Amino acid sequence: MQSGRPQSVVSPIPQRIHSSQAADTRGKHRIQAELKRLEQEARFLEEELELIERMEKASAACKEMFSNVESRPDPLLPITNGPINPMWDQWFEGPQEAQGCKCWIL
Amino acid sequence: MPVAELKERHAAAIEAVNDLRERLKQRRQQLLDTDVAGYARSHGRSQVTFGPTDLVCCRTLQGHTGKVYSLDWTPERDRIVSASQDGRLIVWNAQTSQKTHAIKLPCAWVMTCAFSPTGQSVACGGLDSMCSIFNLNSATDRDGNLPVSVTLNGHKGYVSCCQYVPDEDIHIITSSGDQTCVLWDITTGLRTTVFGGEFQSGHTADVLSVSINGANSRVFVSGSCDGTARLWDTRVASRAMRTFQGHEGDVNTVKFFPDGNRFGTGSDDGTCRLFDIRNGHQLQVYYQQHSDKEVPLVTSIAFSISGRLLFAGYSNGDCYVWDTLLARVVLNLGSVQNSHENRISCLGLSADGSSLCTGSWDTNLKIWAFGGHRKVI
Repeated sequence: MQSGRPQSVVSPIPQRIHSSQAADTRGKHRIQAELKRLEQEARFLEEELELIERMEKASAACKEMFSNVESRPDPLLPITNGPINPMWDQWFEGPQEAQGCKCWIL
Repeated sequence: MPVAELKERHAAAIEAVNDLRERLKQRRQQLLDTDVAGYARSHGRSQVTFGPTDLVCCRTLQGHTGKVYSLDWTPERDRIVSASQDGRLIVWNAQTSQKTHAIKLPCAWVMTCAFSPTGQSVACGGLDSMCSIFNLNSATDRDGNLPVSVTLNGHKGYVSCCQYVPDEDIHIITSSGDQTCVLWDITTGLRTTVFGGEFQSGHTADVLSVSINGANSRVFVSGSCDGTARLWDTRVASRAMRTFQGHEGDVNTVKFFPDGNRFGTGSDDGTCRLFDIRNGHQLQVYYQQHSDKEVPLVTSIAFSISGRLLFAGYSNGDCYVWDTLLARVVLNLGSVQNSHENRISCLGLSADGSSLCTGSWDTNLKIWAFGGHRKVI
């Protein structure tokens, strides 16, 4: 468990499950189930190999992405397409940090 | 069939799958004639440049007494819900910094929270393996606590992330340490669909994050400790539409790109990546080399409303602002004036894209907006 997850001395710590756990000690049924899953995955991968023959190159995807990104107005950019929405600057009008509520929830 | 023979077939099947994966990887490499940054350079794009006082912290939301783990904005109006190690959800009016609700949770070990599309409810989940819904208009009980309206019970592991399906307060998607994602019907409290798990093809380790496509709410992406991201159609439970390999560590966070045709990921391997959902291409890796040996983990990501900026929080307290087209870091919100004093654990963009909220282990939330001179083209 990464240190980012909630933990303390008394909390239960979730165990991450990795697919590399030893298979040797598992029963027959488990191995059969895993085999079935692997065979299914092989079929999916074969399908994908067929599809990839008809797939466009990355440059075509990039071209579309650029078109989408550069046409949309973005309030956080110094240079952007219009139209500008005056509400974008709402953060700099009205109550500022100094008057904000700072009460602590205990 | 005897066990020995089964084991042989199992080993052969692993080899076959690995061989197919390798062939797919090589075929895909041939289609990667450029990445996003290469395309940008060859088409003469200039990097986004911020002045020192352009992106500023304009609000600091104080009130939690523990690390902030998760935050979410309302789709309309500027309210935020946050979840903390202190075992509470707080609902904030982001404009005034006022707290409108402070919800003491039945289980203090919360990991995620979400605002409903109408803004009338909030959801949270964590180590109790449940997703709890609170109606913000309910009367409080005699202890002054807001009661749980609905409990979504069924996961066999912790609830790491939750997101409401847009446009209605009825459906929510959760991700879990039990390796599944689940689509719930809140009115009945029942699971509508389980994605992955014991009887279906899906993630092979804890699922840490989900993101629903804003352009097509039937599609969502999940990120997992198995190092992959998977794309799902909510009408198809039996298998993911596509699996995205590439990361070399847990995928901690996933977020759809604004145009709905791509999504970003952040990982323990220290990189963010951009994938295309229609062809499966890994379009770009976002990684900056550090001078020391330590590679900070990516904890959370968010895109600006056009997708030109990628905000990424890291375990060392950095919060890089990436120019997604040039794949360069243009600002570090972790080192500007008035920045957080600890790791940024969660990020979220307001509905109109005018501000970014960051939540941190320093117990605060901060709101950042563009305060410089804006040039319109």
